[in-house]
Amino acid sequence: MRDDEGRGGRGGKKDDKDKAGARRTFFRRRRLCKFCVEKVDYISYKDVKLLSPFIPERGKIQPRRISGTCATHQRALQTAIKRARQLALIPYVTD
Amino acid sequence: MSNVRQYELVYIALPDSTEEALADLHQQIAGIVERFGGTIDKTEAWGRRRLAYDINNQREGNYVLDVLTGPPAMTAELDRRLRVLDIVMRHLVVRVDEDLAVADRAKTRRKEATVARRVRRGLPPEPTETELHRRQEENDDLDAGVDMGYRAGGDR
Repeated sequence: MRDDEGRGGRGGKKDDKDKAGARRTFFRRRRLCKFCVEKVDYISYKDVKLLSPFIPERGKIQPRRISGTCATHQRALQTAIKRARQLALIPYVTD
Repeated sequence: MSNVRQYELVYIALPDSTEEALADLHQQIAGIVERFGGTIDKTEAWGRRRLAYDINNQREGNYVLDVLTGPPAMTAELDRRLRVLDIVMRHLVVRVDEDLAVADRAKTRRKEATVARRVRRGLPPEPTETELHRRQEENDDLDAGVDMGYRAGGDR
């Protein structure tokens, strides 16, 4: 993404260094829907162990753009988490 | 068109409730279910568990799960009764038959697709012993790779 800006011009050395640094941050882990990969058909609200990786410290539901969950499974996950919260299996908020 | 559905009922009773009180509560629920011509398919007592947040100034609760089959009117009555009872801190009734059916269908469809694919390749429909063994080993390798996390060209 920063390739265009960093290119051309003089201070070649500096730019290269910059680019390398930026590059590293762009190495992203390939995001795959965990539920698709493991072929989970039904996301149960009772299965706290299954849900907990999608609840960051604050207690919010992890967005899809971070976890890589597919839309179908994110929807199911959302219902499951909300049900689990009602039953006090998972916190609504944690400070 | 049948009017019978499957539900899951989870309720949280007070942590210091006695065995008898819990049995009595279960009897009451069974009574309601019976009145509507339903059945209790399964009962699972999870026992005392820590609550994720305080309910009624309690930090723990006695969890019980019931799997019920019956008409929709049954859940309305259960809901009403459980809300009144003091021993029940919290309860949840969820319809599960549709979701489970969907999951089941997905499973069978996947299985059929696998069999069809294998047959098309001229393999026996079910994986053989040696194949399973080999796949296990491959999966072991895969896990190691995933743990390392980063993958070149992994952007998008």
